[in-house]
Amino acid sequence: MSHSQESGGRRLDRRRFLTTAAVGGATIVGASALGGLDAEAAFADPMPSLDAAIPSAFAEGRIVAMNRNVLDVAGSHGERHLIQLTNATSIWKLRTTTAESIEVGDGLYARGAAMPDGTIAADAVWVNIVNVYVTIRGIAKDRLHLTHGSDELVGHIVPDTTTASYLGGALTADLSRTRIGQEAQVLGAWRPADGAIDIARVSLGH
Amino acid sequence: MIPLVSNLAPLVCAALLATTGAAKLFGRQTARLAANTVLVRVFNDGRRATLALRVLGGVELSLGAALLASPVALLPGAGTALLGVGFTGYLAYAKATAPESSCGCSARAEGPIGARSFTRAGLVVAGGLAAAGGDAAWWSEVSRRPGGSALVLAAAAAMLLGLTADLDRVWLVPLRKARIRVFGHPLPPASGERVPVAATVQLLENSLAWQTAMPVVRSALLDHWDDEGWRVLRYAGSYRDARGTHPVSVLFALDVTLTVDTAPNPAVRVSLIDEETEEVVPSSVLAPVPVRTPLPLAT
Repeated sequence: MSHSQESGGRRLDRRRFLTTAAVGGATIVGASALGGLDAEAAFADPMPSLDAAIPSAFAEGRIVAMNRNVLDVAGSHGERHLIQLTNATSIWKLRTTTAESIEVGDGLYARGAAMPDGTIAADAVWVNIVNVYVTIRGIAKDRLHLTHGSDELVGHIVPDTTTASYLGGALTADLSRTRIGQEAQVLGAWRPADGAIDIARVSLGH
Repeated sequence: MIPLVSNLAPLVCAALLATTGAAKLFGRQTARLAANTVLVRVFNDGRRATLALRVLGGVELSLGAALLASPVALLPGAGTALLGVGFTGYLAYAKATAPESSCGCSARAEGPIGARSFTRAGLVVAGGLAAAGGDAAWWSEVSRRPGGSALVLAAAAAMLLGLTADLDRVWLVPLRKARIRVFGHPLPPASGERVPVAATVQLLENSLAWQTAMPVVRSALLDHWDDEGWRVLRYAGSYRDARGTHPVSVLFALDVTLTVDTAPNPAVRVSLIDEETEEVVPSSVLAPVPVRTPLPLAT
């Protein structure tokens, strides 16, 4: 208890320090351009490594074991990966989170650098991420009924997390413009227990 | 009521068996569907599995015909109940050994075996038993009690409709649409809402600041917090100088109220903090975005 409070306090102090640095002497860059490395980037080609001597690596599969900060991952094609999480590893599981929320049995996509000992030092890990094109077949207070081809899916709406984008506009928490019969792209986190999806983002009218 | 149901059971069972049997026996997709069932593993061969599914369709069809033609006889009813028991056993076996396989019950594309498949198989057992216990032909029952018969048949039809996933779009989607029309949209429009973090990330990723800092950024979003009107987004990164590669925190500070809709060209504060020394790294390590020179125009 006291330990977690202490570490929480440290975390806030650190944020305070970083805010001062970020807002105080920062470079201000205006105007617009293109690019992206959000959750969707899990499906993009791996970025070239900054250091030419370190080859970049990509891994995908189900977590079969966890040992401190090393994930033992069984790939879909029979391969095996050891993925090392560090302080600098970003972890996404429906939202930006920490290594504590990762469980054995989760699926993941990871990107990082291949280490000489065969492990992957992860830069970014996306847990249970799914990206599906669906048709909305029903709307309820806490979920959307979806079909993907002939498969039925339940997409849970998570308060303060689920966002929608209409016609390429800004992401908003307003889901009231969804309609039955619409085609949609759903980015979310798969729930291994029941096969449903927690929706991170639903894009409509693209 | 009970004799009414058991006398009409042959008609209901015959309708169900004829539909599913004909679909299996004559359906063009039977081969493709058989490939998704556990039968392939049982018979070790896709063609034999298809043949088995077609034979089963034939059996269902002839049972249906027998139920229609001689509803009072014991044999068709007992046969139907037996078939239902067989279905249940097959489903339990398939569920236990290959939970992802399709049931192949109605010879349509169906998802994994679920409660619906089991309920349908159970109903075949119950219908068969009821039919075996009937004491009058369904046509005499219908002519004797037309009102009650219509009610029972309508209830049976509704039940079968509800148990068939293929027909969901026939009734379920219009029902849901009607409910939204009557009761309004179940999800309230958000007014005066807080800008979601995802929207701020989207704003950042559309900005020149992002493009400038991208060569330094290595991770996805690590942490975020709001402070005095700013939303700070932290990423992990690394930069190289003469002394080697150094880990840094890449911090972006944006106005917490802005989105790509309200601010197409946001001002973004970018700073790099060295993770080891905790010092601000000069912004010269950020790659300036090259200015594009316009191509010469032919005049």
